[in-house]
Amino acid sequence: MPAVLTVDPRSGVPIYLQIIEQVKRSIALGILQAGEQLPTVKQLAIDLTVNPNTVARAYRELEREQVIETSPGRGSFVRSNGVAESPKVAADIGRDALDVALREAKSVGLARDEIRELFDAALQRWFPTFEK
Amino acid sequence: MNYVEWLRVRNLLRIVAIVLAILVVLAVALRISVARYMSPDTWVHESMSRPGVKVSHTTLPDGTPRTILNDPAESTYAIIDDHGYAGKHIVITEPSSKAHKENTHVSIGSIEVKESRNGAMTTTVIDTNGAVPMLYYMMLADFVALIVATVLAAPLAREADGHLEVTLTKPVPRARYALGAIGADVVGIVAASFLTVLALYFCQVLFESARLDFTGINSRAILMGLACPLAWYAMLCAATTLLHRSYIWVLVFTPAIAIVVGALTLITPTSVVALFIHDVAWVISRLDPLAYVSVPQPDEHGQLDYNGSSFFLRLSLQVLFFVVYSALAIWKWQRVEA
Amino acid sequence: MSTITISNLRKLYGRIPAVDGFSLEIPSASVFGLLGPNGAGKTTTFKCMLGLARPTGGEILYDGKRLVPETFERIAYIPERSVLYDWMTVEEHVEMMRRAFRSFDAARAFELLATFDIDKRRRARALSKGMRTAVMVALAFARNAEILVLDEPTGGLDPVNQRHVLSLMINEAAKGNSVVFSSHQIGQVERAAEHIAVMDHGRLVMQGVVDDLKADRKIVEGVFPDVSFTLDGITSDARVARADRTERIVRLLVTGGADEIAARLSSAGAHGVRVLDLNLEDIFLYAVSPATATTDVVAKDISS
Repeated sequence: MPAVLTVDPRSGVPIYLQIIEQVKRSIALGILQAGEQLPTVKQLAIDLTVNPNTVARAYRELEREQVIETSPGRGSFVRSNGVAESPKVAADIGRDALDVALREAKSVGLARDEIRELFDAALQRWFPTFEK
Repeated sequence: MNYVEWLRVRNLLRIVAIVLAILVVLAVALRISVARYMSPDTWVHESMSRPGVKVSHTTLPDGTPRTILNDPAESTYAIIDDHGYAGKHIVITEPSSKAHKENTHVSIGSIEVKESRNGAMTTTVIDTNGAVPMLYYMMLADFVALIVATVLAAPLAREADGHLEVTLTKPVPRARYALGAIGADVVGIVAASFLTVLALYFCQVLFESARLDFTGINSRAILMGLACPLAWYAMLCAATTLLHRSYIWVLVFTPAIAIVVGALTLITPTSVVALFIHDVAWVISRLDPLAYVSVPQPDEHGQLDYNGSSFFLRLSLQVLFFVVYSALAIWKWQRVEA
Repeated sequence: MSTITISNLRKLYGRIPAVDGFSLEIPSASVFGLLGPNGAGKTTTFKCMLGLARPTGGEILYDGKRLVPETFERIAYIPERSVLYDWMTVEEHVEMMRRAFRSFDAARAFELLATFDIDKRRRARALSKGMRTAVMVALAFARNAEILVLDEPTGGLDPVNQRHVLSLMINEAAKGNSVVFSSHQIGQVERAAEHIAVMDHGRLVMQGVVDDLKADRKIVEGVFPDVSFTLDGITSDARVARADRTERIVRLLVTGGADEIAARLSSAGAHGVRVLDLNLEDIFLYAVSPATATTDVVAKDISS
């Protein structure tokens, strides 16, 4: 398991949510493949130095969202449709990021058109298209 | 469960053993340096082992072997009666020119030497009763045991001095822990007495045969000698748990106070003030186990008597002191808070 | 496995209540962090839990039963200050524990001592404060105890060793044992603790599951166009625990429904309304800091 999972306990975001987000992200990026085994709850807790029940909660939630499946005695594995859903997962992540951005932008009083302009400019910076 | 206390006891006994070992080494050195003076009878033999000395052996009516050494050339005559475990009786008759100038009477331990001059001849009588002077042994052992008792004392106060979080979270009832600690110290005190007696016995044996005698005054000396430091120890335990002062100061000052109070009880009350002081001191000293110990004095016949009738009363008092003071300390321990 | 129930604990020292009606239930097989300012009563609570101090009122039960000497087989304790014997070596301390407790693992103790770089032949008086703490940690975690009560277990330790202790605590939790600890290092509590309770002036002011507290508690912040505004409609909501205002800026501490309350604040005329996350330190500071003159809502019970 590459050490791509990190958590920031000092963040206001609960640790179990951070773990969930990071697992989804790893799947979306292909770092975690279909059928690949996740570390055990105990092992991940020790690696991240966080409470095991927090990890367990994250795993339960991931299982509920059908991103991973757990067989007792064997471990937790990435579901195949978890991977097939990586575009969906990516979409989830993207949507959450946009929500945060829009909430911020709206809170400082920007109007819809202004935000749209800023958004297009940003898109141009991030996905440059060389048009004549 | 009381490993800490046993460690303390062991460490202290090590020191006691080292001190006693030094004593023994000194005795051995002394023994070697006076190697010429061996047992009285060997000395006599040595000094008389010149050609011309006639040696003869007889047996007395009671079975005692008697050796007679006769040196006519020097006009010296020696009789050695060997009573085995009861010691030896030696009579030496020699010209006064060879003996000491004055009459001497020396009594060291179990050896007694009497020289008396009769004109031109001097008679020297040497008696060894061969027995270990248990009384004197116990007096020294008592002294050592009292020191050990004072150093070991207040095990519970020591625990209360910053270790309660460890001691009171052990899976053992408080009273049992306290008894265990006191028990370890009792073993230490008795062991210290035993080691001292052993060392003294060894020193004596270097110089002469020594017979262990547990009769009469000796057994009483042993009993009181064991009971007294234990009672003293228990008193210190009770004092340190009740006085709430830093226990070290209590351990340091109690012996001094006991001595002062004891001395004050010896004041002859010549005035009202002196009488008052004497009475107050006497009352306070009733709490002190040492006040009930008396050193036996020889009576008009030169015999030591150990105040026979009151002995068992005073011994029981020591035991009572030990029980009551220990109970006080344990009672306080039940209530202590971290 | 043991649940610890503290009911209405009171402890007076003279006339001063160190603990004043404190109730808490500590579930088994979890890590429970006890937070509070200095003098809040955490150490006194631990002492009462372990029978080192006699409660003036209330009681503490282990699985419904009172504490008896035999219970100590299952409890390991690290006190706040060093209780080692100056004249004994570290090895002798290990031997002492081995003889006192059936399930003490001496080999593990020596392993842990090596991790903390402690020479077992040294006498305790030759150890620094941090090293003494490390020795107590090693002795406690070699106990194989079901319940560990740790009072500031990282006092005096350097950051590397603090991590070691944290890992040890998490390991115990993974094994299914209970850990109750107090620490001023909120970062450590955030990592290791699943449940926390906050104590102040001898009382419980807040408790909960760390992840839930972080998820639910937010600051809703807004800026009003002028100083004359009212928050009555909003602060009457039970979920608004506190409202602090500084001139035109309003910060509401909410225990749930942050987005909804943010919307209401916007409707009330605030601009720049945003929802801020709180980490455990923030939550703790809000719990123990007194309401200020600018606080509109004072001391709502947010202890659940």
